[in-house]
Amino acid sequence: MKWFWLALAAGIHSSAIAQVEATDTPVETAQVELALTEKIVEEPSKFIKVSEEFLPAYLAERPSQFLIDPQNLLGSSTFQERLEFLNYHAGDSSIDLFVYVIGGDQQIPSEIDQQDRLSRFFSTGRPAVVVDYYLGAPQRSVFSLSPSITEAISVAERNRALESSIMQALAKTKPSEQLESFLAQMSIRIYWMERMLAGEAAARDVRPVLTVENRLSAAKLAKSEKLRRLQSLAIQFSPFVALLVFISLIAFIFLRRIKIRARYHFPLFDVEPRLGGANGAGVGAVISFANATISPASQRDQVPDSLHR
Amino acid sequence: MKCPRCVQRIHRAAASCPHCGFTLADAEARFGATEIHILSLTDNAGILPRGDRGRVECAMRKITLRFPQIFLSIYTCTLGEIADVRQFGFWLLNRSVLDDVAADKSNDAGIFLILDPESKAAGMVFGYLLDPFLDEVDTFECLSRAHAHWLEGNYADGILRCLTHLDLVLQKKSQQAKRKPKFFEQKVSGPARLDGSRNASNAAISGGVIAEVKQEVDS
Repeated sequence: MKWFWLALAAGIHSSAIAQVEATDTPVETAQVELALTEKIVEEPSKFIKVSEEFLPAYLAERPSQFLIDPQNLLGSSTFQERLEFLNYHAGDSSIDLFVYVIGGDQQIPSEIDQQDRLSRFFSTGRPAVVVDYYLGAPQRSVFSLSPSITEAISVAERNRALESSIMQALAKTKPSEQLESFLAQMSIRIYWMERMLAGEAAARDVRPVLTVENRLSAAKLAKSEKLRRLQSLAIQFSPFVALLVFISLIAFIFLRRIKIRARYHFPLFDVEPRLGGANGAGVGAVISFANATISPASQRDQVPDSLHR
Repeated sequence: MKCPRCVQRIHRAAASCPHCGFTLADAEARFGATEIHILSLTDNAGILPRGDRGRVECAMRKITLRFPQIFLSIYTCTLGEIADVRQFGFWLLNRSVLDDVAADKSNDAGIFLILDPESKAAGMVFGYLLDPFLDEVDTFECLSRAHAHWLEGNYADGILRCLTHLDLVLQKKSQQAKRKPKFFEQKVSGPARLDGSRNASNAAISGGVIAEVKQEVDS
């Protein structure tokens, strides 16, 4: 990016020189060149400063609600949804979450001391997490803690909270969805910060525990939900199933009885007697079971005298 | 069809075996010329204890009920030196009188299972009523089902397996006979004759023979 700005400046520089050459005034040329040289040396900022009219809302007073969007970047419906979430979080947690929404291409003027904002507005009252959230650029988010809990929450934990929230946000593409994911994850991390504040030693290594517990509880919830659905389905369809089973059983018994009682007949044909036998002659098989090595398959072809002793 | 003595193929209406000249008279000379009175389950060899006997009789009764035209007979004996199950079966089929079988059923409706535990051989023969429907392969399949049991001396179990398969074979054959009676009739009908007495169904099946007969009639 730095190279891009340098190249852009160089382009402006060369075009400016061209313009200067056209004027044919050496003094002016020198002045312009000097000015441009200074411009190249000075790093150009890609962010625009937040308009002064909105600065008081960001910096001059303690916010009256948890979501501060004086520029109306979110739109009213999204703003309401996120604000509801933050209110819900505040009701559920002992640490409030304040979010200042700033444009993704904006920045707070550097001469303003943001630490001063924290000490002035958040040193009293409930402990709070304050986030400067850049809409559409969650990676620029700035995370701060109110002075009352700064000591208790380690820097590593703070970084982890911010990183995981940014990761969650970046998984989405729409800026509004990014903010939603960011806030949800941050709320979860704040819960673990609370536990750290409560002195639970087991909660120190929060990441794996959080993941496993969340997954387990989510799986349990999903399972119970499925079970409930299945139960309702079973109750709904049980009469039909019972009827179907009953009919199948009756049909099975009926068919079984028919089969048992079935009588089979053979048509009668005239057969000429053979070998002097009045009733039958010379048909049918013989099998030997004298030796286990002689299988039935080997005896299939009945050969002359093969079974004589 | 095969001769009970030389096991060579014979014609379906052969008065004696064209290969060895065997007839029922030869079998009578060997096993006796008089009729013998037996029961449908005769255990002369004493291989079926009382409990097993009941099971076998029950299975026999089921088949007899299912196929009212036919009856089953199981005969166990020790043939000794004269052991030839095939010839003995042929003789038994033609010379036995079954006292517990209805008088209107002659032996040509019977299926006889002969079991000799001494020579360790078993045979199955059947009368003319089933001649068109069963063949050597069918009876061999029934016997082979029992082979493993008989090898171990479980005669009753072997007989039951054999009867179970026989039941299935008979059901199948009966259904086939119902669908295609002409097919089975053709199996037992005699050769074509020039006097035209041969029935139409046989002629319809053996088209080649019809052409030959017509030629001869024309000439």
